[in-house]
Amino acid sequence: MKMMILLLAASVLVLAACGNEDEKTSESTGDQGYKLVNEGKFTFAASGVYKPFSFEEDGKLTGFDIEIGNALAEKMGLEANPVTNPFETILQGLVGNKFDAIIGSMAYTKERAKQADFTEPYYYSGGMIFVAKDNDEITSPEDLDGKKIGVVAQSTYEEPAKELSDDIQYYSSDVVALKDLTVKGRLDAVITADIVGYEAIDNGFEVKEVDKPMWVEQPSIAVNKENPELTKALDQALQEMIDDGTYEKISDKWFGRNLLDIDLEGVELLE
Amino acid sequence: MPEFLLTFYDVFQNTYKGFLQAGLLTIEITAIAIVIGTVLGVIFALMKISNSKVLQMIANIYITLIRGTPLIVQIMFLYFGITSIIVLDNFWAGAIALGVHNGAYIAEIFRGSIQGIDKGQREASLALGMNSSLTMRRIVFPQALRRAIPPLGNQFIITLKDSSLVYVIGVSELFGLANRVAASNFKQFETFLVVGLYYLLLVLIFSALLKWYENKLDVDK
Repeated sequence: MKMMILLLAASVLVLAACGNEDEKTSESTGDQGYKLVNEGKFTFAASGVYKPFSFEEDGKLTGFDIEIGNALAEKMGLEANPVTNPFETILQGLVGNKFDAIIGSMAYTKERAKQADFTEPYYYSGGMIFVAKDNDEITSPEDLDGKKIGVVAQSTYEEPAKELSDDIQYYSSDVVALKDLTVKGRLDAVITADIVGYEAIDNGFEVKEVDKPMWVEQPSIAVNKENPELTKALDQALQEMIDDGTYEKISDKWFGRNLLDIDLEGVELLE
Repeated sequence: MPEFLLTFYDVFQNTYKGFLQAGLLTIEITAIAIVIGTVLGVIFALMKISNSKVLQMIANIYITLIRGTPLIVQIMFLYFGITSIIVLDNFWAGAIALGVHNGAYIAEIFRGSIQGIDKGQREASLALGMNSSLTMRRIVFPQALRRAIPPLGNQFIITLKDSSLVYVIGVSELFGLANRVAASNFKQFETFLVVGLYYLLLVLIFSALLKWYENKLDVDK
């Protein structure tokens, strides 16, 4: 009997706690006319497994993407609230109003633009092939025919990988994919962002890049289609950051150069 | 080997603060799931052994649906499906999904242990003039509960380990954090070894508590 009363009391507590959760306003409108998931906060998502763009350090989320998000929040007079979500489900999370925006190195593509709005790119990066250090047979994209390629599911590297080979292995983290390159017989190549591959090499991974980047992509901030005012506000804040040098400071800190500062003449832009 | 131990210790040293927090989240999710699961389990077990065909059918549908689909699908379903109607953050969505999932298994445990109580107990209690509900509350259920403790404990431990699946909706519990830590320190093997040890520790503590409770309930002592 006591047990039953305890259980009932506990369930009431649980339900009460759920009730409190429900009272959270799901949408509040700021002065700019945009909606926010949490009032007064700019909630943005990244995978958290994409060093140096978003990663965990001393129990805190940090990286280039996160700092850009924090700076944007500051520009808009909001409190920054970075959250993590696995990359495979991050777009679904945005569409389902789990967060305001994705600042997680998600490149603009026409396909993705059907599901979400994108701001102007906040950096440029290259799609690059990486292989094991002792692999000498793969020297160009054409050599990947029939080879086993590792890519992150739902990433921009998925489609090009499929075009190059029929044998694709999916991952939820680029780092795990790159690690598998170093294990005999698991993978022949990984396609990921040049910067991410170099970061792994700097951390002692026995891998190397193949040739030059195959294309340049435009990581941009993704916003829910029902919230065009926020896209506009973010574009504005981003432009302010670029103009007043805030952007360059963050980019310098992480990469020693300005990532937006590249020559796009004659380069294939991935869309 | 010593070198490996050094990196292992390094990883442990650098991450224990974060893992303590994440471990707390794992414990919270597990606790909520156990409470929800137990409440649902009792309700559905009683529905299943009731005389009403309708209640039996509802309970059967619930148990079949839950037992027939993977937990990870249920978590996704709740997070992306149900929550488009009500606002739930990922912590609660995960905890509730885990609770609802467990309810089905716990219902079967209770049903089994209630039906396992000798018919004579019930008959004797009715002969003494207790009505049906009093008989259930005072005579049958307390005995059934004691029988249910070992399989329940087992189910609770499964819940604790299954809580790692809520990382797919972005909850920063032990496993989710381990993924991010490994992606940052580039030492997958050591990181997952560390997180495995945390889970093991939690399960051992949990088992000890259950043993203690079982002994407490033991009438023969």
